[in-house]
Formats: sequence, structure tokens, C-alpha cells
Amino acid sequence: MKAFIYAETAPQMSALCGCARAYADAVEAVAIGDELKDAALADKVFHIATQAGVMVEDYTETIADLIANEQPDFVFIETTRRNKLIAGRIAALLGTSVMTDVIELAENGTAKHLVYGGAATRTEKATGPVAIYLLGSDVLPNHDAQGANEIVEVPFITPVSQVKCRSVAKKEKSAVNLSASQTVVGIGRGIAKEDDLVMIRAFADAIEGEVGCTRPIAEEEKWLPREVYIGVSGVMLAPEVYVAIGLSGQVQHTVGINRAKTIIAINKEASAPIFKQADYGIVGDLYKVIPALTEAFGK
Amino acid sequence: MNVVACVKVVPDDQDLTVSPDYTLDFDRARPSISTYDLNAVEEGVRLVEDNGGSLKVLTVGDSSIDDSKLKKNILSRGADDLLMVADEDMKAMDAHQTACALKAALAKIDSYDLILCGDGSADLYAQQVGAQLGQLLGIPVINCVSKITVENGAVIAERTLEHEVEILEIPMPAVISVTSDINLPRIAGMKQILAAGKKPAVVLRATDLEYAALATIEVLETLAPKETDRKHIIIEGDSDEAIAAFIANVAKVI
Repeated sequence: MKAFIYAETAPQMSALCGCARAYADAVEAVAIGDELKDAALADKVFHIATQAGVMVEDYTETIADLIANEQPDFVFIETTRRNKLIAGRIAALLGTSVMTDVIELAENGTAKHLVYGGAATRTEKATGPVAIYLLGSDVLPNHDAQGANEIVEVPFITPVSQVKCRSVAKKEKSAVNLSASQTVVGIGRGIAKEDDLVMIRAFADAIEGEVGCTRPIAEEEKWLPREVYIGVSGVMLAPEVYVAIGLSGQVQHTVGINRAKTIIAINKEASAPIFKQADYGIVGDLYKVIPALTEAFGK
Repeated sequence: MNVVACVKVVPDDQDLTVSPDYTLDFDRARPSISTYDLNAVEEGVRLVEDNGGSLKVLTVGDSSIDDSKLKKNILSRGADDLLMVADEDMKAMDAHQTACALKAALAKIDSYDLILCGDGSADLYAQQVGAQLGQLLGIPVINCVSKITVENGAVIAERTLEHEVEILEIPMPAVISVTSDINLPRIAGMKQILAAGKKPAVVLRATDLEYAALATIEVLETLAPKETDRKHIIIEGDSDEAIAAFIANVAKVI
């Protein structure tokens, strides 16, 4: 079996090269530019020299052509927003579909992926000669990365490039990294107004946690940045403790927290589905409960 | 400008139930517009309001999507007309098949400047159809677009990636997938719902199109996860005593 690795970031280039060993005896990387070439740990590295003034997307034809010629069995592509586009275009050129956001990959290439907003896991496999996956090394078994890194220079195929990049601005980094936090407080529609976030933050500070939210709070109310929206199309967490405040517990949200070790729920509706998933809960007014908790744990 | 918004009809996941053998039961789930595609429709409405032209909604799927209530629902969101391809041969298509079917359906449309897709479908959320469609059509395609303006016949798009925001100039025709926070889809009022019944809706079968794409992905099983065992220690009420008891409980883990 032969696996191709294509990554956008150097750490994932190295990690995926290592992981691919569990699936293929030949591991070959496709690297755009020197940084990714140097990060590869493979038998062979197909190096495409950086072209001036082109977008990363403009390498799609070159990569697809390489896959068509070299015929790997598996193509592992790092999950990023940009790669979602590049992988989809490659698949279209090769007449197949990408298995995206893989959460588990069996040795025979059968992949698992969350569907219906996280209500179920789908197991699927490619029917054609090449299987393309979008994934991160965190879902694969770890393997020591190694390889002779034989460099093969690949000529750039100039596409009919039509999209012009006028400017790129670095995004202001959200100070919060929810995935790294062991204690997370999540809020939903039960919070009446934006000003009440002060109360929520005071509570989060008292228990040394970070604040996340459901999709409506980030995308409709825009009270919190999109980076802290928890759910199937947002961040997926596995903290020690998750405190769900004023959120009903729809599956689209709870899929992002059901790996939490302990779930605590505060909601005035006894019928809220979140209580079915909670270790500890209180059916009551969050505006009474939260200040009491802050008082108790802030000492 | 003539805009086509592609939407997927999915079973409403609010009505999904899990059977004892962990398979999903769709019997009570009504066909509904995939949530994220509402943003594509809304953006189309907004672009036509600002720039003139027309908005067509395009959808492909199995025969169950040919449902009058659903068609009215789609058209009440502000589109001028609907092109639907409904056929049992188009049941549970993968991303490649869907893109091939959309391309074949687009061949039935006179002209278009912009094709809009949502961020991903509410059922599979693979985020692949827009990318495949643009490639198959051989026209520019960009995903993650969080703002669209039109300038001298080109789309100026703000594209939000993980760590950066790009400003792109995209010549038309093009395929653009919009983010779920690009706009807030309007809710149709009674007037819009009544007007929707009078808007043109064309329904075609697979045989009306030049479409013959075989499945590229085989689905082996779709199962709900086994629920994590939880303690379920729930206190009813928010009296001082109840809150104190709750604090005593959570103090074990906080």
C-alpha cells in the first residue's frame, strides 16, 4: 500500500507522515515550498517549488496530476478550511469524493465521520482505486516518523488562475483556547442579555474556566467570537468539567462536549435534554444559581 | 446578476430518533432545507436586491423532495423561482454525484453569474459539493466566504480561514460557499408564504439531465453512539437549600 501526505502546516506534515506508516509501507509526501519539504518524514518527497504570486489553491492541478500518475492507495490531507476546497477540487478531477473530518480510520481504509449534527457516526469507504481523507494526526495511532526523504522535483502546472488575492490580514487571535482548557463554561439562549456575560465571566474566573457557547450565541447574537462556539461545525471539546448554563442540550451542541469527563447542567426547564447527559444538575433560575456558585467557589 | 443558490433537502434532525439497535429512525423526520443553505439563499436575495437580476434556487435529491409544502417553504425565502430535480435514482448521493447532478441541472439554466452554496449540509457536513461543482464546471470556486460585494463585474469576497482573512477578487461566473455567519436568514412572513405558491417551480427527473455518476463512497453503517454513562444527580428547584445541595455536589469535581 502507498500513502500520500499533503499538509498545510509543518507540524501536521511531520505527524501525518508518521501516522501513515500504520496504513502503508510506502509513505510519500507532497510538499509545496521548502518549509514543508523539510518537515516531511517520508520515503519520497514530491517537492513543488513555491511560485511567486499564486494562491495555495493554484497548486491543485499539480497535486491532482501527481496523484493520477503515482496512484497512491490513500491520500491523507490535513483538515484545514483551505484544504477542504483543495481536496474537493482534487477529488472532482479524479472522479471521487473525499472522506472528511475523519474521527477514526481502520487499517483497511474504512473511515468514520460524524453525521446528522453528531447524532450518529457513519462508517464509509471509497469504491474507487484511491481513497482521499481529510484528517488530523490526533485521530490516528502514533507511529515513529522516518524515511529517506528522497526528493523528487515536480514541475508546477500553471492553472487557468482566475482568483486574485488582494490582501491577507492576520486574524486577531482570540485569547481563548477552549480546547486547551480543562474547565469550560458553556452558555445558551437561557442568558437573557449580553450584559449578563459579566456574571458568567465572574463565575468562570471563580472556577478557573473559559467561556464557550452554542451556535446562536456566537452567530446570531454575536456576543462571543465564533472560535468559542461548541458543536459539530465549531469546536469539539473533551475537558475535565463542562458546565452547561441555560442551554437545552441539542445534539448539534452536545456532540462537542460529550467527551467531557463531568457534565454539570443548570437550566430552569426540567425537560431540557441536557439533564439526560449531566452528572450533576439543578433545575432552577440560573440568575440565582450562578451568583451563589461564584460566591462559593471564588474564595 | 443572475444568482443560483444550491440547497439540499435533508430530514429535519429535530425529528430523528434512535432505535434500540442504535440505527436512526427517519420515519417522523420531515424533509427540510438544510440549515446552512439558508445562508446561501439569503445572500442571493441580498445580492439581487443590491445589484438587480434574479435568484433561482436549485436542489437535487430523491423523489420525496417533490413536496408542495417544501417547495413553498423554499420559495418563501425570497427566490424568484425553483428548479428541482427529484428522482429515486438520486437518493443518498455522495459529494461527487451531487456535484455532477448539479452541473447537469445547471446545463438547463440559460445563464448564471454566481452559484452560491452553504457552508456544509446539515446531515453530512462534508463541505465538499461547492468545491467539486466549481471544478467540474471549470470556473473559479472559493469556500469560507464571509462577505460578498460586487465591483466592476467581479465578486470581492472576504474569506475567513483559521488564522487569516483574505480579500479575493473573483471573476464571474463563479461558485462560492458562504459561511454560516455571513448573514441572518430572514424568516418568511405570511405574505411571502402566500406569494411563494405563485412562483414558478420546475421539477425534472434524472432522465431529463445528462447525468450518470456512480457512487464513489460506500456507506457501511450509520449508528448513533452509545451514550456515556452519567451520574444524573439532578436537584429540583432553586431554593437556598437546593442551591446549597447543588454546590455540595459539584464541589466534588470543581
